[in-house]
Amino acid sequence: MTGARALIAIVLALAALLLGRPAAAHQATIAVLEFREMRPGAYIGRWTTLPKDGVNRIDLKMPPHCFLRLPELNCGDKGLVGQMTIANLGEDMSAAIIRVTSLAGETRSYTISASNPVVTVLGTDAPTLDTWLELAKTYVNLGIDHILLGADHLLFVLGLIWIVQGGWRLLKTITSFTIGHSASLAATAFGWIGVAEAPLNACIALSIVFVGVEIIKQQRGETGLTARYPWAVAFSFGLVHGIGFASALAGLGLERRILPAALLFFNVGVEIGQILFVLLVLALIWAHRRLGAALPRWGAEWPAYAIGSVSMFWFLGRLARVLAAA
Amino acid sequence: MTARKLLHAALGAALLSLLTTDPGFAHEQTGVGGGLASGLLHPLTGLDHLVAMVAVGIWGAQLGGAAIWILPIVFPLVMAFGAVLGILKVGLPVPELIIALSALVLGLAVALRVRVPFGIAAIIVAIFAIFHGHAHGVELPTAANPLAYGCGFVVATGLLHACGITIGALARWPGGERIIQGVGAAIAALGGYFLVANLGVAA
Amino acid sequence: MSRLLRTALLAAVLLAQAQIADAHIVSARLGDFYAGALHPLLTMQDVVVWIALGLLAGSLGAAGGRWLVMVFPLGLCAGLAFAVGSGVAPASPLVDAATILVLGLLLAAALRIPVTLLSAIALLLGVIRGAANAGELGPQSDRLLYAAGLAAAGYVTITLVMALALTLRRPETEPVSSWRGIAVRAVGGWVAAIGLMMAGLSLAP
Repeated sequence: MTGARALIAIVLALAALLLGRPAAAHQATIAVLEFREMRPGAYIGRWTTLPKDGVNRIDLKMPPHCFLRLPELNCGDKGLVGQMTIANLGEDMSAAIIRVTSLAGETRSYTISASNPVVTVLGTDAPTLDTWLELAKTYVNLGIDHILLGADHLLFVLGLIWIVQGGWRLLKTITSFTIGHSASLAATAFGWIGVAEAPLNACIALSIVFVGVEIIKQQRGETGLTARYPWAVAFSFGLVHGIGFASALAGLGLERRILPAALLFFNVGVEIGQILFVLLVLALIWAHRRLGAALPRWGAEWPAYAIGSVSMFWFLGRLARVLAAA
Repeated sequence: MTARKLLHAALGAALLSLLTTDPGFAHEQTGVGGGLASGLLHPLTGLDHLVAMVAVGIWGAQLGGAAIWILPIVFPLVMAFGAVLGILKVGLPVPELIIALSALVLGLAVALRVRVPFGIAAIIVAIFAIFHGHAHGVELPTAANPLAYGCGFVVATGLLHACGITIGALARWPGGERIIQGVGAAIAALGGYFLVANLGVAA
Repeated sequence: MSRLLRTALLAAVLLAQAQIADAHIVSARLGDFYAGALHPLLTMQDVVVWIALGLLAGSLGAAGGRWLVMVFPLGLCAGLAFAVGSGVAPASPLVDAATILVLGLLLAAALRIPVTLLSAIALLLGVIRGAANAGELGPQSDRLLYAAGLAAAGYVTITLVMALALTLRRPETEPVSSWRGIAVRAVGGWVAAIGLMMAGLSLAP
């Protein structure tokens, strides 16, 4: 029980800030530029979604052998191969998508963002070591980003740590969560399973509500499902969260042939972020025990209720979205 | 998407604190890296300064008693006080001479195992510390970030002092005392050389 | 569980009819949170002051330290809110230098500071540092998220440093010259020296 008590302060802090979020988190404006290959190596391009600040402010750089003057892009015999860069993405426009449609009719999308200003366009040849490194860097970072920015995933992991309280059981639980989300992430990315994003997000929120309820149960001395079979719960909800990760990956318009590698690197990034978070929480639990800083008895249930309330709030919002779309 | 950039910056900062110079560190405080590096390196550049700092540590360890714990706490403070005098351009008489003399005196004290009451030792060390700090303060680069320079300077001084204490701790092993006296003699010799060189210049 | 689910569904349907447009929250993006959390950790003034305060509180024992877990982040938020509200200019480097010097001296002197005074010091420092961090707050950033990030960073740093200092603390049974006591106090001496040098440098002609 002391472990849970020690965690309380952490959760209160986290929950308070999540509750305090205003409704309008700022939305990224994403510009879209499309290139269509007319002759081998020669493209016609146009903005299908205009950048907010106007086209002229965008500092788009094509590979050095290419000549760009919109709507014309000429890359000669080599074709469009190499690095595309937009260096000045910033506050007003967080990302741009470049779609390239080849003569054969195959369309590829590349996402350029402020934190990822360079994308590498692969030729038709086999990828070189440099492309692999570039790929690894990009997707590991994306994975870390995704988990650190995904408050819902982190809140779920926090709930698991709380119930399991550390030691070997925690290691097993976190590992099963990892296996679960990796499996469903892969399955979704390869298109073996498909789940609509909106209901899925609602499910993710609901999984956190479940964890919150389980914490309260545990505090009242009942043995909940999670306390008895933490790995099973972690695995099954891991499956749900993994599909959520996949939707982030799908938004980037990946090329089919680099998908396995991108998936692997993305997952590695997610695990790195998750391990960092778990270690931070464990360190804080240790610190709280050391300081003897725990909430008083009358406040012991607040954090669990806070987790439950925040996630229920998310759930309702997401459900509203599902119903709105239906 | 800012998280990754910030994470990078955080890692960069962590690296910075280890290596003191990371060109990738381009937060709004551009002077931090430079200030930290110059602050760290400054106490290490002059050989006369360096050996005197180490000698203070050894002597403190040798004296034992209160010296072994009061010196590490107060010494950087007195050095910093001297540095402030230097920065504010408060003049001190014949600084170069006193600094060379300090290495000679402290080296001799270590080599000959001079035992004086703690109060007297503290006054001697404090006077020398003020002169050393003053010399660093006068030569200070103006462009550096003040806090970063201070951090680097104090950490370098403290580490030199810790070096001396470690050498002083050798006394616990058989024969360690001889080594310490040897180091003290070497420091005194260096101090003597600098003293003569300074007098030669002055003459 | 099933009753909870049913209630939830019912509530959701009601809510859906009331407000459908509010879908931004779903994205649960926390970019400004990390901006708030990492800015102080990359600023030397904050790092030095926070760590010194954590060491001071930790070296005084758990009884005094545990209040800082709450008080310091609250101070940071209060300072941030105050600076944003009143639009005050950041304090001069001399104030920073003075706070660092005083903190270092307190740490080096190993004084027994009463819990209330320690909490007051922590609150004051929190307010000063919180106000100093307001400068980074852009017009586009989400203020609540930024404040939450700042408070979270303050909470994590102060809690971990205090626990570490507490672990390193000299047990009451050991003499004053034991290395544990010296190490923490020596760091105090160093911090005070840094503050002194900074003061000198900011007064420099």
